[in-house]
Amino acid sequence: MRNKIGKIVWPAVVGIAFIVVWQLGLLHKLLNLKPFQLPVPSEIALTLADNWQKALTDCGVTISGALIGMFIGSLIGFMIAVIATFFPKWGYGGMIVITAFNAVPVVALSPIMNLWFKTGMGQKIGVVTVVCMAAMAINAYSGLNKLKPFSIDLMHTVAAGKWTIFRKLRLPNSLPYIFTACKINIASAIIAAIISEYFAASTSGLGFGIKDNLRKAEMAMGWSYIVVASMAGIILYLIILLVERDAIKWHASQR
Amino acid sequence: MSEDKKGKRMVAAVWIFFIAAAWELLAYLLKYVIRDQMADMKLPFPHVIAITLVQNWKVLLEAGAVTFSRAVIGFAFGAGVGIILAVVMSLSKTLEKIAFPYLIISQMIPVLGLAPIIFNIVRDMNVSRILIAAYITFFPVAVNMLSGLKSVEQEKKDLLYSIAASKYNVYTKLMFPFSMSYLFTGLKIAAPMAVTASILVDMLGSKSGIGVKILYSLYSNSTNIFWASVVTSAFMGIISYYIVVFIQKLLLPWQNVIPKEAGAAV
Repeated sequence: MRNKIGKIVWPAVVGIAFIVVWQLGLLHKLLNLKPFQLPVPSEIALTLADNWQKALTDCGVTISGALIGMFIGSLIGFMIAVIATFFPKWGYGGMIVITAFNAVPVVALSPIMNLWFKTGMGQKIGVVTVVCMAAMAINAYSGLNKLKPFSIDLMHTVAAGKWTIFRKLRLPNSLPYIFTACKINIASAIIAAIISEYFAASTSGLGFGIKDNLRKAEMAMGWSYIVVASMAGIILYLIILLVERDAIKWHASQR
Repeated sequence: MSEDKKGKRMVAAVWIFFIAAAWELLAYLLKYVIRDQMADMKLPFPHVIAITLVQNWKVLLEAGAVTFSRAVIGFAFGAGVGIILAVVMSLSKTLEKIAFPYLIISQMIPVLGLAPIIFNIVRDMNVSRILIAAYITFFPVAVNMLSGLKSVEQEKKDLLYSIAASKYNVYTKLMFPFSMSYLFTGLKIAAPMAVTASILVDMLGSKSGIGVKILYSLYSNSTNIFWASVVTSAFMGIISYYIVVFIQKLLLPWQNVIPKEAGAAV
């Protein structure tokens, strides 16, 4: 119990101390910054309170794009992993080659997707899809194939077919790996969506908001967008953690 | 082992050939069957890109080198911070408790989204590039290094302490060598990300670098150069990964004997 309190209290104390230092302007002295370059937390909070409706709308645009793209990308990645599992030799080689597309930087991907899609939403979803594919493919492949020793042999002794082995053995085994991929993907999906908005023709979304407010030198507004983006990321991450805890519980009890 | 490796290379080669052929076909369909006005821009022929790459290799290499070298500085800086942070966290439980939640939260802050803000604060292209590349690098390095340091078996530590080894000795003789493979896993994840960060900062208003090439060619409608630059930047990401793999083989030759763990790729 004491341990648990320490786990929450210590980080909270340090976090509050940091915000106070920032608020009192010590951070500015340390980094030799002017207040207009780096607004203080109270100013960011006030700006956010004034504009929360607009920020929330923009956040909704970005997050929905990120989530749809993540879903499509993860689905494709999972399909690739399944195909690679059924055809180990050629499938695995193909998977590695396809995941090499992941090396194309997001910043180069965005202009390409700009050409392909007319709307900002389509472009965003396209970028996020490509970004999320590789992590899911590789993790799901590990999950589908890193089985307990002899478990396949056991399945063979009861004359289980390929499809039964997949459904009863490989699929449950891959669950923890899939959640790992989701946790990686949620962070990269949001980042990819925001970056793609820098280059898109769209006039909404967090990325556009950050860019636009900085251009107009409204630093506090730009920072409040960063706060909203971080909050959204943390909330989505926590949701995945919660779902994972439930699913893994089921998974552990199955074994 | 080498037989197996040869087979894998063959498979990869066939796949690359197959994808290139499919791409060529799609580009043909788009241009001459569907007659898309933007065909050259949307999906150019791979051989055209290859020719452009060869024709402009000097310019592209120069631009790439500029971006890459800056990414390397940020990467080295971030890796250093990450390693120090991991060691400090492994030394003190309290510090670990304080820092770990923030490590996780720091990943949720879209740092590449922060790029323009950081640029606005420091007002210097190179400094902001190094800062962003470092920020992106330090997390995977710190987390992997820490999990490496923590997975040293207690018995081994006890043995060293029983012969009166100092804390310093335990770290240099046992903990560091043990956690090296974990460290390199983190470095492998971080390297392509550092390159991406460097390219993004290029685009935000640098004067040189591959990111500038991408933007300029996009706006001036030099399609071939644009695609060649994109391919170059993709190569840079892949190369950065293999440089880390190469350094790992160089520094940790004993690991080559052990078969590689699956999933380490990409």
